[in-house]
Amino acid sequence: MYSFLVLLAGILQSAMMSFNGLLAESVSLWGVSLVVHASGGILLILYILLAVRKKVTLRGMPWYLYSAGFFGVLLVSVSSWCVGILGAAVTTCLSVAGQLCMSAVIDHYGMFHVPKVPFSPKRIPCFLMILAGILLLNLS
Amino acid sequence: MFLIILIAFLYGCATVISKMINYRAAQELGTWNGSLVNYVVASILALILLIFSPYLRTDLQACTRVPVWLYAGGTFGVIAFVLSIITLRRMKVFQSTILLLAGQLLAGILFDVIIFQNVTWIRFAGILLVSAGIFWDKKVTAA
Repeated sequence: MYSFLVLLAGILQSAMMSFNGLLAESVSLWGVSLVVHASGGILLILYILLAVRKKVTLRGMPWYLYSAGFFGVLLVSVSSWCVGILGAAVTTCLSVAGQLCMSAVIDHYGMFHVPKVPFSPKRIPCFLMILAGILLLNLS
Repeated sequence: MFLIILIAFLYGCATVISKMINYRAAQELGTWNGSLVNYVVASILALILLIFSPYLRTDLQACTRVPVWLYAGGTFGVIAFVLSIITLRRMKVFQSTILLLAGQLLAGILFDVIIFQNVTWIRFAGILLVSAGIFWDKKVTAA
């Protein structure tokens, strides 16, 4: 049951990317970001008040953490742009590949104060397979 | 083609940095308020960018011509976020990551076939190869 819910979450994420890709054609990339974050924000506020029953607050953390929103705008706009050209599946594949590489670098050097986890050579064949797939995507 | 592939890849890299910041914000304000910061600040920034971008005039007319269901993306995103958070208490992170990815990729291929109609055999093979590599890597790192 819970597995199904998580699977559903993945499907919804993919639907969001596809819809955003289509919406961007009419309302521009910034417009998509506004629609997604404003509607999402309102729903999340309602969820916090009604389901979690907590006070809504945005204050009281170091100023640089508010840059989360800066990334939010850019990421939604860029992904909508990519989906419009590459489609949802290819964009997801490439993005996850990027996430794996970036996480590996962050772990290896212990950036952002995370514990250092050296890159395991066992992962090399996996990365080569991903690279081969990306080369195929480049050909298509 | 190469440039847009590179951008999609870099998008993934930036996602990780964004996740680290969101994770820190969640530590400060709690899971729910911590993520709300992202939505609120991003809404304000997007509004400013929209007002100062030259596209605004044409937008207002185009916005009404778009089918309403296309605006549901943000709603889907929040539901997905809430689902992934509340289910995380009942399963391992590894399991959750794999299921999220599987759902995303399966639906992604389906949407591409139905909506965008841009799936060729080479592209399908590329998607399969990258996905297999990702799942394999998840298995290696989880062990």
